[in-house]
Amino acid sequence: MGKSMTVRRLNAWYGAHQVLHEIDMDIEENRVTAIIGPSGCGKSTFIRCLNRMHETHPQARVEGDIRLAGESLFDLDPVDVRRMVGMVFQKPNPFPTMSIFDNIAIGLKLAGVRRSSELRDRVERALRMAALWDEVKDRLAKPATALSGGQQQRLCIARALAVEPEVLLMDEPASALDPISTMRIEELIEEIKQTYTVVIVTHNMQQAARIADKTAFFYQGHLIEMDDTTQMFTKPKDKRTEDYITGRFG
Amino acid sequence: MRKVSKAAKGWDRGFRVLAAIGAASPAVFLVSIAAIVLVESIPTIRFMGIHFLTETRWDMGNLYGALTHRNGITAPAGASYGALVFIVGTLLSSVIALVIAVPVSVGTALILAYRVRGPLGFLLNILVELLAGIPSVVIGLWGILVLVPWIANAFAPFLKSVLGFIPFFGGQTGTGYSLLASGIVLAMMIVPIITATTRDLLVQVPLLAREGGLGIGMTSWEVVRYIALPYIREGFIGAVALGWGRAMGETMAVLMVSGNATNILPQNLYSPISTMAAFIANQLDSAETDASGMAVHALSELALLLLAITLATNLVARWLVRPRRRGGVVAP
Repeated sequence: MGKSMTVRRLNAWYGAHQVLHEIDMDIEENRVTAIIGPSGCGKSTFIRCLNRMHETHPQARVEGDIRLAGESLFDLDPVDVRRMVGMVFQKPNPFPTMSIFDNIAIGLKLAGVRRSSELRDRVERALRMAALWDEVKDRLAKPATALSGGQQQRLCIARALAVEPEVLLMDEPASALDPISTMRIEELIEEIKQTYTVVIVTHNMQQAARIADKTAFFYQGHLIEMDDTTQMFTKPKDKRTEDYITGRFG
Repeated sequence: MRKVSKAAKGWDRGFRVLAAIGAASPAVFLVSIAAIVLVESIPTIRFMGIHFLTETRWDMGNLYGALTHRNGITAPAGASYGALVFIVGTLLSSVIALVIAVPVSVGTALILAYRVRGPLGFLLNILVELLAGIPSVVIGLWGILVLVPWIANAFAPFLKSVLGFIPFFGGQTGTGYSLLASGIVLAMMIVPIITATTRDLLVQVPLLAREGGLGIGMTSWEVVRYIALPYIREGFIGAVALGWGRAMGETMAVLMVSGNATNILPQNLYSPISTMAAFIANQLDSAETDASGMAVHALSELALLLLAITLATNLVARWLVRPRRRGGVVAP
């Protein structure tokens, strides 16, 4: 089962530049939450704070509180946080020197799965969940980089799901993909929200409208508005939200 | 339209000739040096044959007495030119240097590539470059004043008491002028090149691939171990080979701390040794007193061997570190 997250008074910086200002947000478990907003509004930085990836940048700084099912992320080791809060990136990034199988197995091995039969089962389960099993089952030993872009991105989703996180973060996971691959990823998100909490950044408002239960609109580092997706797209409360979703800027 | 003046054309021709000469000079130097050491070493190649590589005895013979003839070559009586001691000394000291330098370099390169930015990173990078610029005679002097006594009084007895049960770590701890001292000064001299090359390779590992590792909960060491190092593997082997080639060719510092052993193979880490390069530098003076010229020919053959080995390692290294693209992940 997925877990909820709460964000309170989150501020984030790159060097002297403040990217996020006083963000408060409640992310419900087993729901898809979409983060929308124009380029540079801080939406990627925001989800990179949710698994403490933001801090890996040498000049990055973060303040505020983020809790996963009540437990503060900053009381935990970042490595543990990222096992519980998985991430799928903007571009497919399979591990370039590993086979398809190893791309998924490595996370399991490092998490302590030793028996090869269990490894095989869990790799297969992850690949099935990412709707990739049938396409790759005969060539698991091939390099992951030999797959198409859409397949690589589904492999990355499988890799993230294999270690069984509570929350899955997706940073514009379909932005580098063709429409058919995009559709498959969206179907996939629909399925995995049974088991996981999903937070997805997207610049594509139709995509947010199709898949998200909740949508949050970011603008210039502030969270302007967050509501049920249908509410947000039909009756936005803030003028800036309305301007953005009606295509007046962004 | 203004015509190009005669003078300008003349200058241009001169410039092109100069540039062509400049461009050709590396090839000319390399070929002429290789040709000279090859020609100079022919007499000893004929005199010693394969025994040059397998004999441990290096003796210029009786320079004022009878002559001996073999394979149509005339040499002082009792002369024997066996280079095995120097080949072994070169290989062992350079391998010890690698054993010390590689972990240090990888650690430093990782810090430089991934950990530090801004003024501190700038300072560390400068320090690495500066270390590369220390004249080898200065390192050798430091070796004599500091390293050699320290090995004799503290480090060798310590190593012996802890690891003495392993062959090569036990036995006489000696004077400090040793295989170990040679390996350590060589390590100091090759750390900069291995560090700088490895750092440049690590910077090429796509950030997205490393973040992918962090994203599934890898520790920073696991990211290095499973993503960054496999990604740069071939280039890294090349970087090590580059350092190895340098260690084998290094002369002055080794000459100063090696103990200049002749005619005896090292018995343990604390034995004096000599390397091919150091021996040539050390012996050339007395070799020139050999009226038959054979001693100089013998040193030329040693130089030829050294040149061949270092050229080969460098070629392999350059080929391995050549820039290349990998399929799949696009750098962000």
